[in-house]
Parts: sequence; structure tokens; C-alpha cells
Amino acid sequence: MTLSTTRPRAFRGLLAFAETELRVQLHEEAAILTSMVVQVVLLIFVSILAPSLLGVALVGAIVFSFFALGQRVLNEAAFIRVDHRLNELYLASPLAPESYFFGLSLGVMVAYLAPILLVALAAELVVHFTLVSAVTIVLSVVAVWLFSCSIGYIVSTLFRDMRAIWPWASLLYNLFGVLPPVFYPITSAPVAIRWISLFLPPSAATALINETITPANLTGLQIFLAAASLAVEAALVFLFAIYWARRSVREE
Amino acid sequence: MSPEALVADRVRKTYRVRGGAPVDALSGVSLRVGKGERVALLGRNGAGKTTFLKIASTLLAPTSGTVSVFGHEVQAEADIVRSSIAVVPQEGKPFFHLTPREQVYTYLRARGFDRASAKTRTGEALAQMELEEVADRLNITLSGGQRQRTMVATVIATEAPLLFLDEPTIGMDPFARRGVWESMRRLTRRGSTILLTTHYLDEAEALSHRLYIIERGRVLVDGSAEGLKKEVGGTLRVSIRGGQDLAETFSSFGSLVRDPEALHIITTPERLVEIMGVAVGMRLTATVGPVTLEEAFLKVVGRSIDAEN
Ligand SMILES: Nc1ncnc2c1ncn2[C@@H]1O[C@H](COP(=O)(O)OP(=O)(O)OP(=O)(O)O)[C@@H](O)[C@H]1O
Ligand SMILES: [Mg+2]
Repeated sequence: MTLSTTRPRAFRGLLAFAETELRVQLHEEAAILTSMVVQVVLLIFVSILAPSLLGVALVGAIVFSFFALGQRVLNEAAFIRVDHRLNELYLASPLAPESYFFGLSLGVMVAYLAPILLVALAAELVVHFTLVSAVTIVLSVVAVWLFSCSIGYIVSTLFRDMRAIWPWASLLYNLFGVLPPVFYPITSAPVAIRWISLFLPPSAATALINETITPANLTGLQIFLAAASLAVEAALVFLFAIYWARRSVREE
Repeated sequence: MSPEALVADRVRKTYRVRGGAPVDALSGVSLRVGKGERVALLGRNGAGKTTFLKIASTLLAPTSGTVSVFGHEVQAEADIVRSSIAVVPQEGKPFFHLTPREQVYTYLRARGFDRASAKTRTGEALAQMELEEVADRLNITLSGGQRQRTMVATVIATEAPLLFLDEPTIGMDPFARRGVWESMRRLTRRGSTILLTTHYLDEAEALSHRLYIIERGRVLVDGSAEGLKKEVGGTLRVSIRGGQDLAETFSSFGSLVRDPEALHIITTPERLVEIMGVAVGMRLTATVGPVTLEEAFLKVVGRSIDAEN
């Protein structure tokens, strides 16, 4: 039996662990089907109360759906660590720790993609996206997703008890995903909130996407701030999650 | 150069407890496991076995001391160590929403095996753990022992150079346990090394080349099961049912071990007739058997507890 003495390459085993997690998630059809409940309820509210804002709300639903994947990552990572101790099985192995974090996130995302694509299709039927909007949507949701699953994974490592996790996960994702202008236009928010919203990834993403659909809601400075904060926050948090995934393998 | 599979040098671990006194889980454990050996860690609940395995498998930082695996230090070279180990965690469970076949197969894939060899190994491991009948049912529908067998199958399928198994046979029936023992023997024949913990002393005896008894974070004894049994001062055990209060009567015949049901006299074949004579005279029920590792364990650990108090 030979033992390699070189360090294993980064992201080793990523796709294989993503496939593992995808299989796990696909066995839970009910969770995938019900992942759209909040979005659909809010869309129904909007279509009754303010039908003209349905396009904005559909964009919000897409962004929120990617943001909410972070909560799934948080719950899943915590569950398989606290309840199953599977982190020990996978982390004391050649699988790279960052592959454990990011493979889990990828698997969850792919599993939940189908209903999100349906919402995106509905949005296209209502809004008729331009190419610029479509590209902005893709880039923005990738950033929101990276941000959200990174936060989800980091937070999952901080708890020893599942019951303690549920309220915090719900608070985190509803506070930042539903409250700020994600499902409604940023111009409807109070001025102070508008500025804060530009720094929160879900509302920054929706502001940018909506700006490509109905321009002139944001100043040039605001567009820059939203784009820059979204990109920088997503990149920093993702890099920190990779660092944290490596570092938290070994408990203190 | 042929480094040993595992060398631990004065490993200490103090857990910091929020709002409470720190817990000294390991107080300087040194041990060695040679390549191809099967070594058991024994000890009472809370002795520090899991803590040691976690440190050795790179999952927990020691407070001080070092552990190296095939010559690589587990803290400084964790990445390298991780590519040569596999772990059955204490109270681990397989993914509820995978089948045993998917669990083993995807784990091998995540460790870097190609599809074909992952498939072959999966089939072999499921067969060894006698899981074929349930191999395609979700783990959530399996019994506790079947889930545990799935965990063991997942890890033995890797044939990793060093395997850590923390109570691998917990909850298994006697047939399944023997299946695990056979797999362990096969693994070491093929060159793997095994460090396991167990509370089943017949298992430790049947399976391990050597064993360490850990007590309150220290190595109390190390050696073979045979050697340890010799320490108790005899090869035969006479058990007197309900004889717990008769220690004085029997103390001259050998050393005594008490448990709630019986008084056990560890003795030699030459004194057997005498003891049975006394027992029959007092109308006591006595049974005779060979000394087991369990008695040796009770004796050695019991002596240490008495000395501590
Ligand atoms: N995270 C922790 N924080 C504080 N104390 C801990 C922690 N984990 C273990 N301990 C303590 O450390 C000691 C050793 O625990 P450990 O789990 O290593 O025992 P063990 O020998 O594996 O026991 P068992 O046979 O019950 O599995 C115990 O006193 C335990 O209470
Ligand atoms: Mg233990």
C-alpha cells in the first residue's frame, strides 16, 4: 500500500459528493414540491393587490428561491453533522473539506432547480426579458446563491443542537429574503431602507435585474453600489466558507 | 523506512465547557499500532476512547502531545493523513434518504474510486455485511443493526490503510458481529491496520492482536488478551450464585471478582475440587468456566477505581 505524500488537490471529490447530496435530496420529493410555497403565496397576494407589480414579484421569486437554498444547505449540513455524524465519515477521508461544503450546496441546488425554472418561465411569459436582463439575472442569482449557501454552511457548523438551529435559520432567511425589497420595487421602500437594501445580496440582485427591465429607478451610483456589493460580498463570503470548511474539520 | 501505522505521544485533551469546569478527557496517552495490526481500545464510558480516535483521525485538536499516522503528523499534515484513513464514527448513521448500495457506492466515489471499482467494492462490502436483501431500500426503513452494518460496509469497502472503528458492532446480532470480525481479519490480511473500540470483551478477545485499557484518560494496561487474563491470577473462574457476601470464605482460594449476581473466584485447576467441596457443603450453586477478558477487565479497572478512591 503506497501513500502519496503530496497534498491532495483542492475541490477533490466535488462532483461525486454533489451527486451524493443530489441523490439524497431527490428522495425527498415533498420538500422539493413545497419549496415554492412562500413564493407562490406572495405572487398570489401581489396579483390580487397590485397586478401591475406581478413582473417585479416574479423576479423577486426567482431571486428569493436561490437565496432560500442557503437555508436548505444550513439545515442539511447541520442535520447530517449533528444527527448522523456523517461529517466525521466524509471529513476524515480524501474528500476535500471544501468539496463537502460546496458539493452539498451544488447537490441541493440542482435538486431544487426544476421548480425555480418553472417560476423563471412564468416570469419570462409576463416580462419578456431582454438579453441584458437574462444575463443580469443569471449573474445575480449565482452571486446570491454563492452568498447564501456559504452563510448557510458556516452557520451550520456553529450549533450542536438541531432544535436550536431551526428558529435562527428561519429568522436569517426570512429577515434578509422577504423583508427587504425583493418581492416589491426598491422605490416603494423608505429611503433609508433603500440604501441598506443595496448592500443586502437578495435586494441588490433584484434592484439590478429590475433596473434592466424598467430603467431609471436607480442612480448610477446606486447601480454601482448594488453590483459591487453583490459581487464583493458573494466572493468574500464564498472564500471565507472555503477557508471555514477547511478549518472547521478539526474541532478545538 | 517503515513507519508504524500510528504513534501517539503523550496526548492530552482538556475540553473547555462553556460555563463549567474544564474536562480532562485524556491525560497523556501514548500508544503504538503496528502496520497490519488489529488493536482494541477498551475502557469504561467516558474513559476517553472516542476522544482519542477523533484526535487520531484529524477531527479534534489535542491540547498537547502528538499523533502521527504512517509518519505524518495529524495536525500539521492532516490532508495527507486523511487520504489514508477511514472512520466509523460512534453513533454514526447512514444518509436516511439513500439506500445501502447508494451509500457505499457514493462514498467510494467521493473518496476518488472510479465507477467500475466503486461498483465492485460496493457489491463485495454489501455481501460481507449480509445486506444484499435490503441493499436497495432506503436506509430510513432499515433496522438499527442494519443501519450500523451499512456504516461498517461503507468504511470497509474503502480498504483504507488505517481504519478507525468506534464501537462498530453496537446493536448488531451475534451473526452480524462475527461477520464484522471476519471482515476485519480479511482487511488486515490485505495490509490494512485497524484501531477499534468496543464494550464487547469477547469481541476484543476474538479480534485484536493487542489491546489497551484506558481509564480516566490514561493507559492503564496494554498487551494481549491472553497476557491480560494471566494478570488476574488463574485460568478458571468459579461463580457462586448469590455469594457476594461470602468473600471471606473463599478469599484463600484465589482472587475474587464481585458482581450483582455472583461472586467469582479466579483460581487454578488444582484448587477446583476444594472449592466445589466448600460450595456443595454450603448448598451453593457454583458454575465453572474459563477466565474471560471480561473478568480481567473488571479486575484491572476495578483495582484502579479502588486505588483512586
Ligand atoms: N465535547 C465535549 N465537551 C466536554 N466534555 C466532553 C466532550 N466530549 C467528551 N467529553 C468528556 O470527555 C470524557 C471522554 O469522553 P469520550 O467520549 O472520549 O469517552 P469514551 O471512552 O468514548 O466513552 P463511551 O464508551 O461512553 O463512548 C468524558 O468525560 C466526556 O464527558
Ligand atoms: Mg465513545
